[in-house]
Amino acid sequence: MAERRGTVGGPVLTEWFGKPDLHTLDVYRSLGGYSAMQKVVTSMTAQQVIDEVKTSGLRGRGGADFPTAMKWSFVPKDHPGPKYIVVNADESEPGSAKDRYLMENSPHMLVEGAAIASFAIGGHHAWIYIRGEYDLPFEMLRDAIAEAHAKGYLGDHPFGTDYPLDVRLYRGHGAYICGEETALLESLEGKRAQPRSRPPFPALKGAWGMPTAVNNVETLSTVPWIMRNGGAEYAKRGTEKAKGTRMVTVSGDIQRPGNYEIEIGITYRDIIEGLAGGALPGRQLKVFWPGGSSAKVLPASMLDTSTDLDGLKALGTMGGSGGIIVMDDSHCVVKAAARLLRFYAFESCGKCTPCRVGGNWAVRTYERILANEGSQLELGILERVSEGLQNGRCLCGLGDAAGWVIESTYRHFRDEYEDHALRHTCNVGKALAHA
Amino acid sequence: MSTLSAHLLDEIKALPARYPQPRSAVMPALDLAQEELGYLTPEAMTEVATALNLDAGYVEGVATFYTLFHLEPIGKHRFYMCTNLSCTLRGAGEIVEHLRGVIGVKEPGEVSSDGLFSYEEVECMGACEYAPMARVDHRYRYDLTPEKIDQLVAERKSSSSPLSPTLSPEGERGKPKPKRVSRKKSG
Repeated sequence: MAERRGTVGGPVLTEWFGKPDLHTLDVYRSLGGYSAMQKVVTSMTAQQVIDEVKTSGLRGRGGADFPTAMKWSFVPKDHPGPKYIVVNADESEPGSAKDRYLMENSPHMLVEGAAIASFAIGGHHAWIYIRGEYDLPFEMLRDAIAEAHAKGYLGDHPFGTDYPLDVRLYRGHGAYICGEETALLESLEGKRAQPRSRPPFPALKGAWGMPTAVNNVETLSTVPWIMRNGGAEYAKRGTEKAKGTRMVTVSGDIQRPGNYEIEIGITYRDIIEGLAGGALPGRQLKVFWPGGSSAKVLPASMLDTSTDLDGLKALGTMGGSGGIIVMDDSHCVVKAAARLLRFYAFESCGKCTPCRVGGNWAVRTYERILANEGSQLELGILERVSEGLQNGRCLCGLGDAAGWVIESTYRHFRDEYEDHALRHTCNVGKALAHA
Repeated sequence: MSTLSAHLLDEIKALPARYPQPRSAVMPALDLAQEELGYLTPEAMTEVATALNLDAGYVEGVATFYTLFHLEPIGKHRFYMCTNLSCTLRGAGEIVEHLRGVIGVKEPGEVSSDGLFSYEEVECMGACEYAPMARVDHRYRYDLTPEKIDQLVAERKSSSSPLSPTLSPEGERGKPKPKRVSRKKSG
């Protein structure tokens, strides 16, 4: 079992959480907020900002785990027209609630991070694309931006400089696919949210055809801390390759569901049994999704798996968006998988064939299995559909994720699948009413 | 005589200037139209298209892609019930069934006989730590129980006060409202 970490060096994102009225500019400022942005715009170059973030080792927390400094450095420095930071606040991954939590507690942290990121890529505008259901975070960000303008932190002369910076909001209207960055950009441009073919990548041709870096809420919310305390200080946290802290949301069959900031490298046992209090009374943990519903499941026997991102990749799964869904022995894996496949089929944008057709095929197959009409044939179909959704056959990751749900639940819980498909029984607890 | 009011159409015509390219105004414009009418009629979508110099079919194509645009009449009060995995594990199915009984409808999208209520079963709304949860009249409701559903419905039946308005594009209309902050301490 890996050494318990989690407390080394203290929290980063949630450092000030719990302070009364942290969402107001006055309180945020009094704690040291906007000092990073002030330092950046008054005394640093864009390259110095990128270098500091590079030192921190910060990687994207939206799920792709891509080095943030590298993403920024891909935006061409000599581009004559506008360049944009687009903030992905379309958090829709089942099991993930951490971006909402960060925005509701400290909206200025995101505004400051987005402004710093704009400066780092040589742009002047950040657009926060926020999912339409997030009414409260939307209102809080709107008010935070207005406060920052009123104080002169945003606008034509932030902190007395001549480097205009603005942060704007754009509301989504309900589409999981907008979490995919090129689909999000299409939506921001007023189109149906269907992923683009790449290349060109957003760094060269992103929002409104201009060079763009798309960053997640948590990623940008981390940036002010890094600029205040230094990249090296951030890099003291975490593992050799996966630096820092990250947010996780723990939900499902668990004693203390919640959002937790963890140091990367602690184990899932530390989170699920430690922070979140473990299984409900009288029940046994059976399976968990380590990083949103799109991450391949791990059985409870693998609770000692590290949250180290590269370690998860080696296991074929991922830390993803940090949404840890826990399920115990009272719930059936096949029904859970069927429910998730309905989600992926419904949210498929329809642009590429494997995802559009494969998802629905899987849903119909699960329906037959759960109606006790299954046989070896249905299990074979699930295996083939799962394979057909993966490994680059789809335009974006949505199809892969659907395939991973089928493949990983089938691999680890073949007995439950065979109970349903071949023996027409469910030997697990109560039924899921909505499976 | 247009479906949408003249002042709303003026407001919609002013939207494109806010964005680097005018087409980005289509969703904020549809939002305004939906706020005024409750749902998007074909006539309303055509008027939005005309106001934005876009093809009517294009605007309808956008409206039909996103789940928060409604193309059929809905209740004055909408219950968006999360039924994704985390909520389902914690009893969302029973909560939805209870709601159906309380408001007297059989399926998602059906409007109650008094016109006050309808519900939708929706995908994850990003508040899994409070499962089962729902979005009711632009606010999240957490840790739902049948009793809480009864209370939410009763409050809305007895109250004649209007809904909190749909949030305007970028929220640039009106003044910031006092906030109600739901915080949960980490760890």
